[in-house]
Amino acid sequence: MKTKFSAAPPDAVALGVHRRTFLGRTIAGVGSLALHSLMHPRLWAGASQPAPGWPGVVNPRHVASRCKRVIFLYQAGGPSHLETFDPKPRLGEMHGKPMPESFTKGQQIAQLQGKALKCFGPQFSFRRFGKAGIEITDRFPLIGGVADDLCVIRSMFTEQINHDPAHTFMNTGAIVAGRPSMGSWLLYGLGTETQDLPGFVVLVSQGKGGQMQPIAARQWSAGFLPGRFQGVKLNSTGDPVLHLRTPEGLGTAGQEESIAAISALNRIRHDRVGDPEILTRIAQYEMAFRMQASVPELVDMRNEPQSVLDSYGARPGDGSFASNCLLARRLAERGVRFIQLYHRDWDHHQAVKSNIDLKAAEVDRPTAALIHDLKQRGMLDDTLVVWGGEFGRTPMSQDGDGRDHHIKGFSIVMAGGGIRGGMAYGATDELGYAAVENPVSVHDFHATMLHVLGVDHERLSVKFQGLDAKLTGVEGAKVIKGILA
Amino acid sequence: MVICLVLGLPNAREGVAAAPHFNRDIRPILSENCFACHGPDEKKRKGKLRLDQRDVAVAKEAIVPGHPEKSELVARLDASDPDELMPPPESHKKLTAAQKKLLRQWIAAGASYEGHWAYTPVARPTVPVVAGASAPIRNPIDAFVQDRLSREGVAPAAEADRASLIRRLHLDLHGLPPTPREVDSFVGDRAADAYERRVDQLLASPRFAERQAVFWLDAVRYADTTGFHGDQMLSLWPYRDYVVEAFHENLPFDQFTREQIAGDLIPGGGRRQKVASAFNRLNRMTTEGGAQDKEYLAKYAADRVRTVSMAWMGSTLGCAECHDHKFDPFSQRDFYSMEAFFADIEEKGFYPSGFSRGEWGPRMALPSPEQAAALERFDADLKKLRDEAAAIESSTLAKGQAEWESRMSELDRAKGAGWTNVVPRAATSANGATLTVAAGGEISAGGMNPDNDTYTVIFRPGPGRWTALQLRTDTEEDYAGNRIARGWRSYVLTGVEVEAGSASGRATQVEIVEAIPTARGQSDRYPAWAVIDKDPKTGWAMEHDHSGSHRLVLRFARPVETDGESEITVRLRHDSEKRRATIAKFRLQLTQVEGATSDNDALPPKVLAALRAPAETRSDPQKQILAEHYRQPAPELARFRAEEARLSGERALLNGQVPAVLVTKAVAPRMVRVLARGNWMDESGPIVQPAVPARFSAASPARENLTRLDLADWIVSADNPLTARVFVNRLWKQFFGTGLSKVLEDVGSQGEWPSHPELLDWLAAEFMQPGPVSPKDPGARAPHPWDIKHVVRTIVTSHTYRQDSSGTAARRPAGGGLTLLERDPENRLLARQNPSRLDAEIVRDNALAIAGLLRERVGGPSVFPWQPEGYWAPLNYPKREYSASRGEDLYRRSLYTHWQRTFVHPTMLAFDASTREECQVNRAISTTPLQSLVLLNDPIFVEAARAFAQNILAEGGGELDGRLQWAFRRAVARPPLPEELKVLRDLHAAQLARFTASPRQAGEFLRVGEAPLPERPDPPQLAAMTVVARAILNLHETITRP
Repeated sequence: MKTKFSAAPPDAVALGVHRRTFLGRTIAGVGSLALHSLMHPRLWAGASQPAPGWPGVVNPRHVASRCKRVIFLYQAGGPSHLETFDPKPRLGEMHGKPMPESFTKGQQIAQLQGKALKCFGPQFSFRRFGKAGIEITDRFPLIGGVADDLCVIRSMFTEQINHDPAHTFMNTGAIVAGRPSMGSWLLYGLGTETQDLPGFVVLVSQGKGGQMQPIAARQWSAGFLPGRFQGVKLNSTGDPVLHLRTPEGLGTAGQEESIAAISALNRIRHDRVGDPEILTRIAQYEMAFRMQASVPELVDMRNEPQSVLDSYGARPGDGSFASNCLLARRLAERGVRFIQLYHRDWDHHQAVKSNIDLKAAEVDRPTAALIHDLKQRGMLDDTLVVWGGEFGRTPMSQDGDGRDHHIKGFSIVMAGGGIRGGMAYGATDELGYAAVENPVSVHDFHATMLHVLGVDHERLSVKFQGLDAKLTGVEGAKVIKGILA
Repeated sequence: MVICLVLGLPNAREGVAAAPHFNRDIRPILSENCFACHGPDEKKRKGKLRLDQRDVAVAKEAIVPGHPEKSELVARLDASDPDELMPPPESHKKLTAAQKKLLRQWIAAGASYEGHWAYTPVARPTVPVVAGASAPIRNPIDAFVQDRLSREGVAPAAEADRASLIRRLHLDLHGLPPTPREVDSFVGDRAADAYERRVDQLLASPRFAERQAVFWLDAVRYADTTGFHGDQMLSLWPYRDYVVEAFHENLPFDQFTREQIAGDLIPGGGRRQKVASAFNRLNRMTTEGGAQDKEYLAKYAADRVRTVSMAWMGSTLGCAECHDHKFDPFSQRDFYSMEAFFADIEEKGFYPSGFSRGEWGPRMALPSPEQAAALERFDADLKKLRDEAAAIESSTLAKGQAEWESRMSELDRAKGAGWTNVVPRAATSANGATLTVAAGGEISAGGMNPDNDTYTVIFRPGPGRWTALQLRTDTEEDYAGNRIARGWRSYVLTGVEVEAGSASGRATQVEIVEAIPTARGQSDRYPAWAVIDKDPKTGWAMEHDHSGSHRLVLRFARPVETDGESEITVRLRHDSEKRRATIAKFRLQLTQVEGATSDNDALPPKVLAALRAPAETRSDPQKQILAEHYRQPAPELARFRAEEARLSGERALLNGQVPAVLVTKAVAPRMVRVLARGNWMDESGPIVQPAVPARFSAASPARENLTRLDLADWIVSADNPLTARVFVNRLWKQFFGTGLSKVLEDVGSQGEWPSHPELLDWLAAEFMQPGPVSPKDPGARAPHPWDIKHVVRTIVTSHTYRQDSSGTAARRPAGGGLTLLERDPENRLLARQNPSRLDAEIVRDNALAIAGLLRERVGGPSVFPWQPEGYWAPLNYPKREYSASRGEDLYRRSLYTHWQRTFVHPTMLAFDASTREECQVNRAISTTPLQSLVLLNDPIFVEAARAFAQNILAEGGGELDGRLQWAFRRAVARPPLPEELKVLRDLHAAQLARFTASPRQAGEFLRVGEAPLPERPDPPQLAAMTVVARAILNLHETITRP
């Protein structure tokens, strides 16, 4: 869409504005941000150099990196690793027998509190996929088809056994609410490559049946970072971004003229009082107006060939996981830094077999299609794709056919973006209970994610409550060197 | 050069000849770079060296006073061996050359230490005398500020122009803009005390309390939902009203503190103190399946320590949950000892009936005296009625019972018992929904989704003698956000009407006397009685868990006899205040059973079994079961049943209206242990008793078994160095945009040395124990200790507060050199005022006030302003949709907005409102494109623009320019400049032309919102003016306090 703003040099304005904004902001706002974090040299690199949007504080990057963005396919509820990525034939042999106490003694338990703990064998067979022969459930034949691009981490563990705090921990690296989410950290650290879209976008998939885990806006909150770094949720019904639509009857011309008048009045005020915040405000109106055109264009899939839609199993407008996977690719193409896509139906306390069958049908095709599609477009090298949830499931049965929450061992899959494909990393014990070989903490996972994006997790920090707050916490974390490409 | 400026002036004094000042210059360097390994945390301490204590540092020769060259500390800063270098390379910390120089100078001058400023007792400093002040010194604040300015060689700004000044004052004290009349009356009032009188007026208004409350509600994390997982509703709003009332009455802050932390323990405490004690129940809570009591009790307890220490004392004691504090003198034991004060609070970690029954621990009903009396009357009447009914022995009903048994047995043999599905001939919606009838008679609502609706179902039941109708509702998978209803959480069925008649004959109204729901359909707020109580607004709903299917049996006063041609019409009314609380999917059933229940066979299985047993073989219990059940259809008891249904229904409705609040109830304290690394499963740590942090124990009673009241007393004791400083520092932030010490959440070692330490201490002293009233200010009333309004009044009447903010700081001095903005970008010298963006609530309140839409009423249950559909879709347990309030509640002040912790109202969130999950004392202020989208397109603001435009046309005179000037002035308290007026005029002309050419579009544009339109609107005129009004509401100046 041609607007009267396209004639102006938005880049230069934006950078100049942002630089000054940050100076002005320290008066009233950022507050908790340490001054040193505001003083990154890049912020002082002359306003004449055009750079898009927020340049990020990690600029240049701490570590050489090709990866530019993340697509996190977040499987909320806690997918069973035992029916997806972690084959445990021994658990099958033990099916129905008491779970050996040596595994469970003194360990946390959720809904199985006070119940007899019995082994529950894997409900699906596993097949070897790809040249590397990675074992994956036979319910994921298409994901298996891209196995040589996948790194399956089978030795994840986490600290929180209930959904809400486990989501908070997986997303923010903290259990206490109010910390920035990983997307916010990345946006703050690396800045944005798009002037027309938010740099951190969240998609929540609609689906049939099941329990639909509740999730909280905390999971994409900027926490103590300024609000500009928070995730923006794209909705599949109503306005894709809240209040994106020009009011009925006003029309594009009315909107454009209104914004022009608002900006003109703001400029007059600025000329008089010299408050740099006013320039920031003007730039945000311009970006809002651009978003009013760019977001509908983004979500309009009419120009996607039918073959592409079919490969994902996407029916535009249905808000499904499949459509969102395709949307994730479109967001990646447009320079969005962090794309988080929620599937919310993995909490299989009952009927783990039939439920995973259903869920596999929803995620297998689009997940594989996304990886394949990115690869075909040459984007897999600079896009990190992650598939996983907040925890795993017990090797013990719940009520005979389900599995309870489990934190001692679970699987996460990574692909592209500087991660070595065609490998499995780490292992749980023979019953799939605890990560025993190369255990990977949530902080390690975050550290590795930041690393492939060129960020040293120790150096991406902001002063908060007296501490150098980091995504990876205070206890220390390590980059998983063994899975780097 | 620039970098020094950004660092702020306190650190930018390099080259100043005076010796470095420990607290100002040295402590920040040591704290940031050294204390983590050489500070208070014993476990992390390296080489037994601590640099936070001079004697240790000297004994270890890290510091040799007077001899930087002999001091190991200095040597290590420049060590070439990475193993020797400090701070170690892996810490990524590095000292600047200037910082190293400061350390050397300080050691050379003797390396004197000072106690941390915030931990030393507050002593009232002497007010400096400023010679030759160039601006008024109205009170000690000005003396402290100008004393510093004169030393810096900077002149204070002049007083702001009177219109800006009064707009600033209204926005700061009330969070609302002055009306043009209020501006005029102030600008025209040349009396010497005009300003002070206005301040006093504003402080006396409840609006001041409403504004002030928001800061406190952020700190104590007040919200309307639990915040974990299903984020269910809580009833806490009476606490919010307590806070408003406390600020309005200017409750001394020490009393305010005691009532919140220990209101339940205050001897002689009444209802207000108990409501205040809800403070201890504001933490997030969970009912997530599988949550362990112990784990969550630990989470709640830690949350309380974080909140109390930060909200009152600006301390990060919360950081000592897993280990000793790294920077401040707090041990891990201090953390758990603080926690132990709260161990007497009756609570659960996991609330098993939170979701299903809304039970979240101790609560207190708050009936008005009238309500209490009415409830007592109901109880007495019900008891009397039940006694009378019970006096009629079942034996006296034997004849009727025998006939009933024989009729029911016959019906059962003829397969006529149970519930008969109705197959509708027609099912229609009054307001445009589509009702689809499935083959089995099930009816689904779809299509248009009106706020209120009446479903009409017509059917021919065939021959029969019907005694009751049953409504069965079911889930509807297709409604993503909701299942049993098309909106909100549940449907609200406000009335059921049944008409019966033959196809040819006249229809007669069927009287319904009893409405009996299944268990989950029973609640006081939405009792089934409300379906038949003739009040169109009351209704039946599932208050808590509404998943799955629900049934409602509606018993007729008399059986309805039908033949093959008879038609029955059933109307289901949904006329409640809740929007779209309409049934999603339902079926209707009839029965001929007398005394029918919602069981599948219309009788409870054991009744049916007894009935089916031949009379001669019935056991005694079976006989008793039948006799007992017969009391339901017995005609002799009909009067009692109808009366009981009415009385208990009305009692429920009344009781459902009685406010309630979660409160603190003290029980025997739980044992509290130090948890190693914060691990709640570790039971090896020592048991601790309630105690204040050891560093401050001198100020605490030396008794055993300290209580929350002792804690509160200590917090507000004159010996507590933190509380008063922290509170006045935050008040300062409200009026200047930055605290005197900038880090509001941490005045500890990692916090900031205040820009004006003496001023901060003077304010803290004045807060705790005010000095005599200045003879220069005869209007001032005598303040009391801990007097919040007194401190606010002192601040806003100072010249420092009244200074100009409009741009002089950006002007370059005549002789060249730095502008003030360049020299002091953060305004830490206070040589001017700062413009600042309005807080989230005020952005909306300001727009509503300008538009004339604001409806002010202090207190009450939280309200639901417009919110986009589907925003709550990610929620579950229960699934729910937002139901916007009706009428005036759409336009209440934003502090009364329902606060959903996991999904805060998006209009508020866009402008950086707190989610209230954790204590927050310093909201970030960001500027984002989403804010622009809200101001441009959110129906809240579009409706405000339309209402504003209506007022502009009605009150702005007859001429366009006059109207535009009126409008502009209404928003920002100043007339537009000629060039501004031209922009508005041009915008108006373009819009008027477009809307005149397309009046249909004008009509569409004006349709937003529910505020009434004028009686005879001129759509193009009004639409064009709405565009102009909207532009004005969007101005940076409009949402900025000058």
